[in-house]
Amino acid sequence: MFERTITIVPEAGLHARPASKFVETANQFDADIQIATEGDDPVNARSMLSVSGLGVEHGEEVRLIADGEDAEAALDALETVLTTPEDEYDE
Amino acid sequence: MSERTLSGIGVTPLSGVGTVVWYDQDVEIGEPPAAESVDAAAEHGRFENAVEQAQEELQAERDRTAEKVGESEAEIFDAHLQFLNDPQITGAVEDSIDEGLPAEHATREGFQQGIEQLEAAGGRMAERADDLRDIRDRLVRILADAERIDLSALPEGTVLLAEMLTPSDTAQLDPEAVAGFATAEGGRTSHAAIFARSIGIPAVVSAGDDLLDIEADSEVVVDGEAGEVIVDPSEATRERASERRGVEVRADRVETADGKEIEVAANVGTLAELEGAVAQGADAIGLFRTEFLFLDREAPPDEDEQVETYVEALDAFPEGRVVVRTLDVGGDKPIPYIEADEEDNPFLGMRGIRRSLGPDADLFEIQIRALLRAGAKGEGTLAVMFPLVTTVGEVEATLDVVEEVAADLESEGVDYAMPELGVMIETPAAVFVADALAERLDFFSIGTNDLAQYVMAASRQNEHVADLHDPSDPAVLRAIHRAVEAAHGGDIWIGMCGEMAGDPELTELLIGLGLDELSMSAVTIPDVKANVVEIRTDDAGELAETALESATKGEVRAALSDDT
Repeated sequence: MFERTITIVPEAGLHARPASKFVETANQFDADIQIATEGDDPVNARSMLSVSGLGVEHGEEVRLIADGEDAEAALDALETVLTTPEDEYDE
Repeated sequence: MSERTLSGIGVTPLSGVGTVVWYDQDVEIGEPPAAESVDAAAEHGRFENAVEQAQEELQAERDRTAEKVGESEAEIFDAHLQFLNDPQITGAVEDSIDEGLPAEHATREGFQQGIEQLEAAGGRMAERADDLRDIRDRLVRILADAERIDLSALPEGTVLLAEMLTPSDTAQLDPEAVAGFATAEGGRTSHAAIFARSIGIPAVVSAGDDLLDIEADSEVVVDGEAGEVIVDPSEATRERASERRGVEVRADRVETADGKEIEVAANVGTLAELEGAVAQGADAIGLFRTEFLFLDREAPPDEDEQVETYVEALDAFPEGRVVVRTLDVGGDKPIPYIEADEEDNPFLGMRGIRRSLGPDADLFEIQIRALLRAGAKGEGTLAVMFPLVTTVGEVEATLDVVEEVAADLESEGVDYAMPELGVMIETPAAVFVADALAERLDFFSIGTNDLAQYVMAASRQNEHVADLHDPSDPAVLRAIHRAVEAAHGGDIWIGMCGEMAGDPELTELLIGLGLDELSMSAVTIPDVKANVVEIRTDDAGELAETALESATKGEVRAALSDDT
């Protein structure tokens, strides 16, 4: 099991396009991935509803927990999403 | 059988008669059977199949909408697809199946929590709850094996009835086949209403719950002028309705009886409306709203997508001009990915060009780049117009942005063309400095809805002051007059793209005031063109003079009715 704490860079926070991108990325890996905000229970990182329901804003910290073969690669990819400003996304 | 009349809001001055087809009635699934009698394994399989079929349907509708309406409208479906596979929701449905519910009941149950969660979050999130409802209803319909009407293939002479119609629904309607539509909900400015006006289908919205009692296959008349839906119409009613209106569509440009050319143009808000504008004989597009490119999506459209959209509009009017208004948000038009603070008085706050020169500067620059590139590529003549200008400083800052973008494109070796540049005249401030603005610009277009709102200090949305919000009040007419004088003094053209421009009863007054162009909902173009050719500019000038000398709205009205 791997864990990482990341500060959200995109201006929109974990909403709209960044949230969508995050969920899409989580879905590309086999590992079980969860995301949590401080003091709350972790939720499934593959669920748009759960992820956007966290209401994470720009500058806040989240904890990612991944378990499985490709857990570390998944965390790397998700960290990239969360630390890339929105206007630098590739189409 | 005697006829029965339902009242709603008419949205097009047309009427039609046809046979009722119902769209999207709720699927009745009844009470769930006892849990012991449900085969959970089989229900899991049914749910899985339903999700798969929903996915195929959504993908097909997405492709069709992208082709017929535009890529940005199609993105609504991407959000649906993402929610369809959301493990929180599918997990909840599967749990409900395990508790002994059949798949359709489990779907209702499982989605409910997500819908409530989004609604509780409020704001932008709450709007997404409708997406979930849409997906839920789709799954339930598939599970109940209920038929779904193909809106793009309705039989000729159909009157479509629905509780409400979404943008993706209306985009599929074939104006040739549909004799009219009526919805129980919705307002004059709902998407369905705007669409009906642009393509010229008789339509009534907000007809109330009584509409839901009308049976499929009944004969009905949809009278979009009176705002009535008439069930089982008498022979006389039916004949009146099927006449529609006799005003001929003039595809050519028109001039007054004494030879002054008046450009009659269309206001459009989506690519789909371009076709309607051409069909109604528009000479040009006097207002191309760009908000549709930005609404209903999670991220702003990129430069290439915008270029493509603007080129499509320009190609629809190879001989004419397309006046594109840059993004006009704030006030009544929030956009999901644009951070806007709550304002006490949004109509006096961050709107229009104020946002483009401030918090939305990045979006604005991309839009200007796309416009300059499109101008070099599309067939028609491009004009770009900036909304809600109040000061000369704003215009200078805006022109600086355009110059900088042009310089960038030049140094990158990208093809571009400098469009005509103009502003909306919608604030008293712009009227008072119009002479200075005219020195810096190529044209003006008067937005009468906002101009009346700001001149009369009366909100467009407040029914208690609706009487004050009238563009034919002498105060507003004098503001229009002053803007026209300033434009012509500076040798630039001036048009009008507010609702006033499309009122056939005011055509003579507007020509008398000296407007060079009138831009309106496509559906009123044939009437206005028919008026223009009858009008003499000297008579019109006298009428305008009397109206401008009037002290009250009553006197203006009297002058207008004396004249006819």
